[in-house]
Amino acid sequence: MRRRFAFLIFCIAFATMQRARAEGGSMSLSPPGTVKAGNAFAIQTTGSGQAVLYIVGLGQVIGRDVQLGETTFFPAGVLYNAGHYVAILVAGSNTDNTAFDVVPASRPASLSFLARPSRLSVGLHDGISGCVYIFDAYHNLITAPTSVSFKLSNPSGAAQERAVVAHDGVAWTEVDSTAKEGIDKFKAQVDEVSSTRVVEQVPGDPCGLKMSATQSGKDIELATTPVRDCSGNAVPDGTIVTFTETYGGDQSTVDVPLKRGIAQVEMPAHDGATISVASGVVMGNEIHWR
Amino acid sequence: MLRPSSTPQAAVENLGDKIRLQAWGNAYASLDNKAQFTESDFEHDLTGYHLSLRTYATLESFEVRPLHASNNEAEVQLRIHWSSVVGPFTDTRNLRVVRNGDRWNVDWPLVKRSVVPPQVIAVNYLRWDVIYRGSGDDWGVQDVEAPHVRIVDMHPVQRAEGVVVLGELLNEDVVPAYVSVRATLQSKNGSPIASEGSFDRISHILLPKQVTPFLINFPDANLSDVGSIRMEPMSSLVSASADPVIEIENQQLNPAPGASVTGQLVNQSGQVVNIAHVLETLYDKTGQVVWVADQYTDRALLPQTPVPFDIHIPEDLARKVSSERTIASTYSVGGFQ
Amino acid sequence: MMTSIGSMLVIFSVLVVPVAGWAEQAAVRVEPSNLHGPRTLQQETATAVIRDYLQSWQSLSSALEQNRAELLDQDFVGTAKDKLTGTMHEQAALGIHTRYRDRAHDLQIVFYSPDGLSIQLIDNVEYDEQIFEHDKALTMQRVHARYVVVLTPTETRWRVRIFQAEIE
Repeated sequence: MRRRFAFLIFCIAFATMQRARAEGGSMSLSPPGTVKAGNAFAIQTTGSGQAVLYIVGLGQVIGRDVQLGETTFFPAGVLYNAGHYVAILVAGSNTDNTAFDVVPASRPASLSFLARPSRLSVGLHDGISGCVYIFDAYHNLITAPTSVSFKLSNPSGAAQERAVVAHDGVAWTEVDSTAKEGIDKFKAQVDEVSSTRVVEQVPGDPCGLKMSATQSGKDIELATTPVRDCSGNAVPDGTIVTFTETYGGDQSTVDVPLKRGIAQVEMPAHDGATISVASGVVMGNEIHWR
Repeated sequence: MLRPSSTPQAAVENLGDKIRLQAWGNAYASLDNKAQFTESDFEHDLTGYHLSLRTYATLESFEVRPLHASNNEAEVQLRIHWSSVVGPFTDTRNLRVVRNGDRWNVDWPLVKRSVVPPQVIAVNYLRWDVIYRGSGDDWGVQDVEAPHVRIVDMHPVQRAEGVVVLGELLNEDVVPAYVSVRATLQSKNGSPIASEGSFDRISHILLPKQVTPFLINFPDANLSDVGSIRMEPMSSLVSASADPVIEIENQQLNPAPGASVTGQLVNQSGQVVNIAHVLETLYDKTGQVVWVADQYTDRALLPQTPVPFDIHIPEDLARKVSSERTIASTYSVGGFQ
Repeated sequence: MMTSIGSMLVIFSVLVVPVAGWAEQAAVRVEPSNLHGPRTLQQETATAVIRDYLQSWQSLSSALEQNRAELLDQDFVGTAKDKLTGTMHEQAALGIHTRYRDRAHDLQIVFYSPDGLSIQLIDNVEYDEQIFEHDKALTMQRVHARYVVVLTPTETRWRVRIFQAEIE
């Protein structure tokens, strides 16, 4: 408690001393209450003689030699990082200071567009998310409410669109993946500024996996029909299809990648063998070989 | 220190010592049937005709066991224990030993080099290449999505040596994945007891829709102390090839005693597979994984040439096993897997 | 609205009770999250984010007082780090340094992005700002400000990526 009281006294004394100094030196400064990031502005000072003017904030620090009693001009592009600033006038042992704010420019210049995922299965509700942070030309977050449009479009021209208002510089949306595989474009736009991401929609799990068997010498030639997902998209080549042959306590297994849409393999022909086919967790048909 | 080869057993012991010392010339010179093959054939019979686990293995120890003997001929079993980077493997040869005066010489049963008939094997399976995002803090810039993988089965079992977490992992994506699984045992109040990753009893590269078993060991842990298990499957994009395809033929579940799964690997591609890792998933009648066993082949897999495997099943689990599933992951010099 | 110490004496007399000494920790109040995103925020994540954000004030304070940009590395990334680093170089060139001491934070997490790769929070913060020209104290301010902060996850912690004061 004693320390807190001492601190209060220190603050009062410091502030009183500062004001006394300023009054003693008859100098003051008047910055604008707010400055738009990157805009030109001016600070009027009073008094006479030379002084140093500092503008100090977490985003920037500027120093200028000034003639008291004159207006100091800061051209466009000098003070551009949004935040809270203190303007301090220092002349010998005299100082004066005033706080002011730099606010983001209202015109968007860039977007940070976080779109996920870049690849997903077809037919997923709200499967694709987009989140956009809006920045001005100086990379200040534009926190004023701003309209953002999101658009997911596929090569055939079909599109899902969402209009969202950004709060505190951020807007987000979710859209469904479509039933058709392909490379879609996901675009976020604010005024004339846009950012595009690619979303690859890929086939889902195989659906109705089916194989047939034919005799080929001492072997059975096994081949699936073209493997498709439940929406009719062709499952991509390279996908593993597992053939398992069981006969009299023995078993043979082959993991075969799809090639040109089908999986094919030759396995030994054994009377009474049972052959099954699967891909991942999806089971296909069974064949009993006679 | 070599002994005089005055008995069949001493002759085989001497041969074993020469093999240990890699004194191929001396070992070859001591053979009774050396006229049937060259010194190089003999050396490569033991170290591999192609680059394989044998090539870099060292002879750890050997055992000599007389099988039967007469005055002029004997049969002696030589069990050579090799040590390799992925663990030990054993080479068992039944040797005929013949008497030449007061000395005995070994008749070496050479395993001949497999010869693949000259042919062209067309390979046009897929290969996946990945271009990764560069370094730097480009926040918001899209990266290539990591493969989606899913644990489709998992449960812990208590073994004498500790807790073992068993399960299966599926690559449900359309791209290949490099995968691993980490498990953390948590006590009943939620505090972590131990964390371990799958290491060698998993197939780390999974092609689309491929399933691998995994086994994670927690030595000295006690299942009764475990309240929950946190599983973390990890996946990353990796360049891979769908070739070579390995067929697993004639798998047989051999009951106890000496329970095992045996079978043959057949390399259906045209390139030599230098090392194959066979992973055996063993299921009970309900389809739950009861064990994961593995073996590395010590010889290279030549195209279309069967290579046998024999994977031991723990005796106490053997009667629970109702079915099995075998997969093989492969490594080829200059290849992807 | 930011208020300089010169016009805050009356307010100070009201606020003096919770104001702590230099070495003491800031008072922290965390409002219940008011998320406008679809992703659920786990309590563990919220706790980690708040912890790492408060830690970033310590780094910021030390870095700006000593004009040592490397002290930001642990807690700042991207734009926030670039801007603070620039400030430090400007301070050093002008022969000044600043002492920031956070006194009180009133925090609320307002957005967790669907991909889990960014969290936005609003901090109604009260801090002291003391500006030195070489060793001479030029001014001391007690500042109330509304900060919009975005943190993103890295390997081991959440780092501040956007750190921007707003007009209250």
